[in-house]
Order: sequence, then structure tokens, then C-alpha cells
Amino acid sequence: MPARNQKQWMADPNLQRGEWVDSRIYSDPEIFEEELEKIFKKTWIPVCHESELSEPYDFRTTTIAREPVIVARGPDNTVRAFLNVCPHRGMMIERRPAGSFLEGQPSGNPKRMTCMFHAWQFDMKGNCVYISREKEGYQDRLCKENTGLRRLRCEVAMGGFVWVCLDDKPECSLEEWAGKPFDCIRESIDAEPLEVFHYHKAIINTNYKLWHDTNSEFYHDFMHYHNRVTGFNDEYFARKNIGFEHGHVNVTSFEVNYDEYEGFESREELSFPKFPPNQWFMIDLFPGMNFNLRGSALRCDIMTPLGPNKVMIEFRGLGVKADTPEERQTRIEHHNSIWGPFGRNLHEDLIGVTGQGATMNDGSEPRRILHGRHEDNYIHDEVGLRHYYDEWGKWMDRLPSDPMQKYTAPAVAAE
Amino acid sequence: MSWKRVCSASEVAEKSLKQFDVEGVPVLIANLGDEFRAYPPLCPHMEERLEESGICEAGVLTCSKHLWQWDMRTGEMRGEAEKPLLLYEVKQDNGDVLVNIEKELEYEYDEETDDDDDSFWD
Repeated sequence: MPARNQKQWMADPNLQRGEWVDSRIYSDPEIFEEELEKIFKKTWIPVCHESELSEPYDFRTTTIAREPVIVARGPDNTVRAFLNVCPHRGMMIERRPAGSFLEGQPSGNPKRMTCMFHAWQFDMKGNCVYISREKEGYQDRLCKENTGLRRLRCEVAMGGFVWVCLDDKPECSLEEWAGKPFDCIRESIDAEPLEVFHYHKAIINTNYKLWHDTNSEFYHDFMHYHNRVTGFNDEYFARKNIGFEHGHVNVTSFEVNYDEYEGFESREELSFPKFPPNQWFMIDLFPGMNFNLRGSALRCDIMTPLGPNKVMIEFRGLGVKADTPEERQTRIEHHNSIWGPFGRNLHEDLIGVTGQGATMNDGSEPRRILHGRHEDNYIHDEVGLRHYYDEWGKWMDRLPSDPMQKYTAPAVAAE
Repeated sequence: MSWKRVCSASEVAEKSLKQFDVEGVPVLIANLGDEFRAYPPLCPHMEERLEESGICEAGVLTCSKHLWQWDMRTGEMRGEAEKPLLLYEVKQDNGDVLVNIEKELEYEYDEETDDDDDSFWD
């Protein structure tokens, strides 16, 4: 194929609509802002795992679509979520990333969230319990009963993850939203309480959807040197991508022969409860979370989009809370050798997506990003990406292949 | 229980507070200069440890968090306080401070109301 001039380069590819997207969906600031409003403020987002706030009065703070969020475990053991914003003057109430309210802070008291600005205080249920010099300033015009926190929908589910939705009236319940794609590993991750043993985060220059793409297609195993030279076999190619309602995807399991990997040993000796050894299931949730149960360790990536070309990815590794120290150490080694910051694959994925980010700037000539591989839904089929972008188009009411146009169903069905 | 030795009088400096454990019961001892007083250790307002937050001046104890104040001798309310301090009986004997603990004194704090029902989101 000869090189192409600009007109040829900009022409639609010889594929059906729905089999490619326009790179402006990754780089346009207006589209990015709209994604925060129309998708991230409307859908269920896992913000952490319940083991990260294991005791009453433990809390974690985070953001969803730039809105500051605090999740806290109450004395009744229920985890609740609130906007981390003081109803008085809009200050961020808690500024630590995580901690406990059991001990009072220098400006504050035990068992209370305190806004240090004017000492307003709230309990773990979001009730306002103290307004400094309330009667003197507000007489009876405004009182604690009118100034509780903004509570957010929050559920602990699917292996103990803490899910928050900024919308009081989400399109559907969490179970309806994410239940079916989790069915493949649910028995294993809900059998016993789990615990986070690994956390790291990376802020990288790419669009969040591009990271999700690498989690949703295995064709890029050509980049993963070790996978390519040791992993490609009949079982590898026999895996399928399965699409679910709401843009979610499963990649079905196969038995990984770890002893064929250079420097690796079989992982038969340790698995997850009710999970056959060396199996590996993957769940990609719209709009950008990945759950990956690989034999002995569960990995979860949660993406927080920070800009069109900037995303924070939080990586967590989980084991079983009741692990012996030896079991835990084995899980950690299994997890980190693949997915740790110095693991086998992770850095290569980062090279891929930052390379894409580097070519897609605001104002760049739109590029056609191809998702047109059809292999009967087997592992190198790009059906997972087509499925995802069709969902994206519906939420955004934009056509992924021409985002300045309104959404219409693709010529080929996304599945 | 009954009269228990808490500490020697020299362990608590004048115009200061110090918390002790008396067989599992936490007791806050105040040295007023000429006399001692014994209170439960937490502020009746928001469970603050008065040993850390309390300021003793001119016979008045002030919790520095929300400026509740009490007469140190009687526990009576001053300033912003909305609840009095509770006191244990106290005496000195041979350089020791003793308190009379019949049972542990504790304040009642507001219970959090239960708002967990789905109609909340309507």
C-alpha cells in the first residue's frame, strides 16, 4: 500500500461505520467536559474497597468527575458516601486521602467530620451536629437540622468494592448495572471477605478510554514480549469476548501455563475460593474499570479522568482477608510479577497508551482509530471496543466515528 | 469500688490537668493550687480529651475546641457550656490523691438518628 496524501488519509476507511472511531473523542476538551457530565456523574463508580476502611470511623476521600467525595464507615458499620463539601461556605471538609475520625484532629473532635474553616461538624451519617455560635448568628432562621451534608448513593458489593453514584436517581440499580458481567467470578470474590494488599497509582498522559481499550483487547499481546513468545497457543486463541448490556465486556477464562513463562513457576498451589487453579477471567466495565481475577490474585484498575489527555489509574491487588502470611506473600508475588509497577506487562501497556496520547492533541487532524477486527468474538476480535463505543455514543448522543453528529446505531451491530 | 489512690499530689502541676487510669476507670485530676478535683476525662460536649484540650485559668476550665467553660471547683457551667461537669469525690492522704469511685461517671452523647431508608432518595 502506497503512502497516502491528506485527502486519502482523511477519507473514511473501507470498513463499516461502528468499526472505527474518530480520535477527537480522545482529545476534544468539550467532549471531555461532556463525558464528565453525561457519563461519570450518572453511572456507578467503584471508589475503593471496603477493607481500606475496615474500622468504624475510617474514611477515604476521592473525586468523581472533579466532585470531591468522602466515604466513611459509621459506628453501625455501614459505609456511606457524601460530597466532601461544607454546606456553610463550600470548603472541602476533609483533606487527608484516608484516615480515621475516631481520634480528634487539632481542629475537630473525635467521631466527627469537622470543617476546620468555621468549625461546623457532621457525624458519620452526614447530620450536622455543631454550628459554632449557632443562635447568635442565625437566631432561629437556620439550624443544624437544615444543614446536613449532601449524601450520595453508595453500596458495598461485588467482592466488597465501594460503589458511589453522584446521581440520586441512577438509570438502574448497581445490581442491574454491573451484576451480570460479574457473574463469572462472583462466587469466588463473594465467598469470603477480601483485602487490598497492593495499591499504586499512576497519572499518565493519555485519554481514559485508551487505557480501557488496552484492557479490552488482547490483540496488543504482540506488544507484550513475554506473552507473545510464550503465551500464544490454542487455548489462548480459544477465549471469547462477551458483551453485556451497558457497554460491559467479559473475557472468558483459559488455563495459564505459568511454568512455560521464563522465570515463572506453576501457580496451581494457590487460587481464589471456589476458583480452579490458573484460571483467568476479566471484566471490563463501562466507562472505565477493570477487574481481573488471575488465579491467586484479583486486580482492579479504576480510572479517574483528569483531562482529555490525562488520567489517574489506581491499581489495587486483593487477596483473601483470612490469608496466612505465607498465602498472602504468594499472592503478592503472583500479583506483582505481572501487574506491579515492575511487573511483566504493565509498563508495556503504558508505552502503548502514552504513545497514542502523544499523537492526539486538541486540534490534531482527526485520526481514524480502527476497531474492525472480526474473529467470531475470539480473543483478537475487537468486538469489546465496538461494544464499548456504541454505549459511549448512546450516553453522549454523539457518533463515535464522527462526534459532531448525533448518535445513530452502527451499520454493523456492535456485537 | 470505693476510695482509690490515683497518684501522688506532686504528679499534677498547679493549674493543670492529668489523666490517670484507676483500675480501668479513666479519671482526670485537676490541681487547683489549694485543692484537687477529679472529673471523667472527656468533654461533655463532643468527647474531646480534656487533658489535651482543657485550659485551666483563674479557677475556670475551658475546652479549647468550642469554648465550653466550667467552674473547676463545682463543675458549674460558665460561658458557652450547655452541660455541667461531673465530679468524683476527692481527698488527699499522706501526699496522695484519692478518689471515691462508686461507678464510672460518663456523659450521654447525642445518638445518631437512623435515616437509612430508600425514600430518602425520592
